[in-house]
Amino acid sequence: MEYIVVSLLNGVVHGLLLFMVSAGLTLIFGMMGVLNFAHAWFYMLGAYVGFTLTRLGGFWLGLAFAPIVAGLAGVLVERYMLRRVHKFGHAHELLLTFGLAFIIEEVIKLFYGDALVSYQMPNYMRFAAFTIFETNYPFYRLFMGAVALAMFAVLYLLLTRTRVGIVVRAATYRPTTVEALGHNLPVVYMAVFAGGSALAGLAGAVAGAFYPTGPNMAVDFGTLVFVVVVIGGLGSVVGALIASLMIGLFISFSVGLNVSIADLFGLVGLGPWANDLGGLFTLQLSTIANSMPFLLMLLVLLIRPAGLMGDRQ
Amino acid sequence: MPMRMFSASLLAFACCVTGTVHAEPVKIALIESLSGGQAVTGKLFQSAVKYGLAKVEAEKAWPDGIKLLEYDNQGGPSEAADKLKAAVNDGAQIIIQGASSAIGGQITADVQKHNARNPGKEIMWINVGAEAMEFTGPKCHFYHFRWNGNAEIRLKAMLIAMKDANALGNKVYIIGQNYSWGHDVQKLTRDYAKDYGYTIVGDVIHDVNRIQDFAPYVAKIKEAGPDTVVTGNWSNDLLLLMKAAGDSGLKARFAAYWIDQPGNIANAGDTAVGHYTQSTFFPDANGDKTAAFAEDFKAKTGQYPLNVQGHVVHAMWGLGEALKALHAKPGDKLSVKALAFAMEKVTVDSSMGPIKMRPEDHQALVPLAIAVVSKDAKFKADDTDKGFKTIKLLTGEQASGPVQSSCKMDRPKS
Amino acid sequence: MIGARTIALLLVALGLLIVLPLLLSPNLLNAAIKMMIAALFALAFTLAMGQAGMLSFGHAAYYGLGAFAALHLMRAVEQKLFGFPTPLIPLAGALAGFVFGLAFGWFATQRTGVYFSMVTLALAELLFTLAPTWNSLFGGESGIATMRGPSWGMTFGSDEEVYYLTLGWFVLSAWCMWAFTRTPVGRLALALRDNEHRVRFLGFNTHVARTLIFAISCLFTGVAGALLAIANEAANYTIFSAQASANVVLQTFIGGAGTFFGPALGAAIMTFFARITSDLTRSWLLYQGLIFVLVMLFAPQGLGGLVDLHARRVRANGWKHLVAPYLLCLVVGVLLVAGLVFVVESIHVVLTDAYLAKRTAAKGEWVPYELFGRSFEPFSPLTWGIPIVLLALGGVLLPIARRITARAWLAATREEPGETHAPPVATDAAPADAAAAGQGARP
Repeated sequence: MEYIVVSLLNGVVHGLLLFMVSAGLTLIFGMMGVLNFAHAWFYMLGAYVGFTLTRLGGFWLGLAFAPIVAGLAGVLVERYMLRRVHKFGHAHELLLTFGLAFIIEEVIKLFYGDALVSYQMPNYMRFAAFTIFETNYPFYRLFMGAVALAMFAVLYLLLTRTRVGIVVRAATYRPTTVEALGHNLPVVYMAVFAGGSALAGLAGAVAGAFYPTGPNMAVDFGTLVFVVVVIGGLGSVVGALIASLMIGLFISFSVGLNVSIADLFGLVGLGPWANDLGGLFTLQLSTIANSMPFLLMLLVLLIRPAGLMGDRQ
Repeated sequence: MPMRMFSASLLAFACCVTGTVHAEPVKIALIESLSGGQAVTGKLFQSAVKYGLAKVEAEKAWPDGIKLLEYDNQGGPSEAADKLKAAVNDGAQIIIQGASSAIGGQITADVQKHNARNPGKEIMWINVGAEAMEFTGPKCHFYHFRWNGNAEIRLKAMLIAMKDANALGNKVYIIGQNYSWGHDVQKLTRDYAKDYGYTIVGDVIHDVNRIQDFAPYVAKIKEAGPDTVVTGNWSNDLLLLMKAAGDSGLKARFAAYWIDQPGNIANAGDTAVGHYTQSTFFPDANGDKTAAFAEDFKAKTGQYPLNVQGHVVHAMWGLGEALKALHAKPGDKLSVKALAFAMEKVTVDSSMGPIKMRPEDHQALVPLAIAVVSKDAKFKADDTDKGFKTIKLLTGEQASGPVQSSCKMDRPKS
Repeated sequence: MIGARTIALLLVALGLLIVLPLLLSPNLLNAAIKMMIAALFALAFTLAMGQAGMLSFGHAAYYGLGAFAALHLMRAVEQKLFGFPTPLIPLAGALAGFVFGLAFGWFATQRTGVYFSMVTLALAELLFTLAPTWNSLFGGESGIATMRGPSWGMTFGSDEEVYYLTLGWFVLSAWCMWAFTRTPVGRLALALRDNEHRVRFLGFNTHVARTLIFAISCLFTGVAGALLAIANEAANYTIFSAQASANVVLQTFIGGAGTFFGPALGAAIMTFFARITSDLTRSWLLYQGLIFVLVMLFAPQGLGGLVDLHARRVRANGWKHLVAPYLLCLVVGVLLVAGLVFVVESIHVVLTDAYLAKRTAAKGEWVPYELFGRSFEPFSPLTWGIPIVLLALGGVLLPIARRITARAWLAATREEPGETHAPPVATDAAPADAAAAGQGARP
């Protein structure tokens, strides 16, 4: 019972963190078809902005400015770089963002060094929200979850209930028609890209105070963010949320499960034989829990490539 | 060939005309991870090597001087192999490396192959950081010298000190990374259970450097209810584990190998207080001696010796002692074989105590200091109010482990 | 068809490659071996990518599998289980690459466009995470190490022999791949890239076709991996990393996916660049990232594409128009690069711990710092003046250089008076061969 409840809590919060980082990317990817490899690096940029401004003016200043800086960076990138290579295809866009990721990381390393920086949450946020089964649950985790949910709510409402949102969604399916109707499509694209990057920046400022902030933080998230977006369905915010929660819960629960393929064979009496084979067969689920998202992504791609909530082509 | 022969003969002619060939300094190559993800560790090695060699140069250990060449192995074994070849082509006879056991594996294999293919022109690897047991076990060879610790002696040190301080308890949980290092630590902790009077209440192995959220693992650990958690984790894997443990109120103490990596204390904050670790150097380990060394190091490099830097400096001084023992004259050429024989007999007089090199497996008997993270440590870490307070200092002999039976070293004739 | 001029050029290149060991220092020879392996990898990658439009993000998987297959074979020979000539070891890599290319490709090619790429990425990542746990096959963290054995009268102990072995396989593989493009299946690959629906309606089983082409690409990738294993005599699981897969994609596009030798050129240049600059500066990844971005922005057809453009469009007597403008461009480039490097390296030096120590020793004074062997005062007019002058001069000359080059290009490529062609520099109308990956990806 304890295991289930604690894993549930942990999984949900971890999933919400993933959602925060990937929300922006699913919009960008879904709408513009741009594989923005540098998305996780906007996340890192947000964390470092948060760190710098926290030291200068306080935590909330950092939280406020991180999305602004990341969004501005997004505007510049979209306007002056992505727009130029758009016509050459997705590979070029991806590689451009790949080079961009390098540049952002190296410039940050140039100014902040290679080591982790001490980006901490303010002390008044450092307490246990509640105690469950003798385990303290840090308040900040709930804070992160709340920010993620707020992000989701704002995005969802924006996309479904406002005129801007309708234009954005229409531009996903019928860009030329939207343009014909008189909307400024390039500005829409730029706004989406900037918005997505700003979200990543905010996620960085919020999460960076809890998780280690260092030059490697983007690499750790980089590929996982793509997995979430693919599983959830390109362009679907709801899908991204569901996929993030799924992955977070899956990882959380499988950590506690010491089952291996050999154990499954044991169910039909072939346990010892499978154990002797070693290698892949004795690999326990808890050991490779964090690599499982890729298997999930593979399955989704082969069975239903549009993702959970994406539209079939 | 014609071009090279021409320039070679021109040089020879010039030499004959001018009289003597100007003697070359001994070239030492540092092949480290100076860029990419591991750069922060690689740069620690780099600055410590420079500091250590400055003294060797000043003492004129080798009459014609020494020259340090630096190569960036970009964090990968294949690039390390390339840079090793480049170093050898540039005339390096001594290779220093330490930031990763994987790269160490590549280097040790390449050094052996080079020596097999070029008798008379041997090179040696001074290992200052690869801690996997295999380097003084099945992969030991005559031209490798390990000046850092290894999985066994570090664990042993912590167990001895924690037992003495009544901090070990009877129930131990092991959490580690899923590769040879993590497996080594896991096995050693199990092996020592009888000797130090504890039972293993659980263990878990996880992916290396992929996990963002250790809360599920902490939940598992809590369920088992250990007194002490042993872990060989490093970098993010250790930091996140400690934070998750602190946040959830886990009461167990940590016996961690690498809490003293730069950045850990700053990021873990107060959750790190009360945990145990060990190192080949702490500034307060041996009173005034270590303090003096720490202050001098800080004056030249900008910070107190961190993490691996203590034994790296000692390794350089060991190299200096070995060079001195050759009693070379200006113009002599260094024979790495003679150097290796000399290094086997070297003892370094360090601030932590004497460090003797063990000829059977080329593992230096390194003194270890075990410390607890505390707010009343004399030397603070990471610009915080916390630091490492040494509770015990073990001499090289006390800390040492047995020679592994899997080490079968082929010794050349002297 | 291949013209006489091209054949002559190729023979000259081949001759140069053959005599290279006599001219190069051992360091450069080793670099040349690695450059050839990278070039082969890129060529194999382009077989799937540029020809058939299958942008694979996980090609390092087959590279690594080829390497490990070769290592296991070499180990078997070393332990005298059976004999096998060393020069034929890459066949093991070819076999491993082909078999796994078939197996993984079968799944991957069920999807197209971006989904295909994601599947290949997922497969490679799974292999990367599972490999370190499978010690018997992949040797855990330190991998598998072995030694080259003597064969056919050579000991393969020296780099020269390894070079000729690598050169032989490189030439053979490149020729095979080129010949492949001339076969019906090779033509089919191009057709698949351009319009898969039509190919299907012509009666071909496109899934089988794409799997086969992908597998052939993986075959040659496996050969490249095996050559790496022979050169390094070791490999570990990091060969499967996403970084390695990303590198080959980048090298291919920098070289130009639209030409046959473009990727090889890109791979050779970037490998060489990484090797040289990684020892010179700690910020070399920044410069590499800048190169990626600049090439993508201003030379999207790649360097090879640029060369190809010149070869095709510039008239025989048009070259004289381009000499002076290109020299000017070179000057502008050098100015801008020099200014940037000065700024970046200065910041790097001033922010290191060692400099901070010097400042602390001098009671907080901004002491001079060392750069390029000279001393610079942090706030002197000279220190600020150098980069400002360099960058300003470069910045001022840049638009002038662009205008002059554009005019010169017109003059050089004009076929008849009055007819104009688009200029090559910073153009939007460059051939977009690599747009193939966009097939079916737009939602």
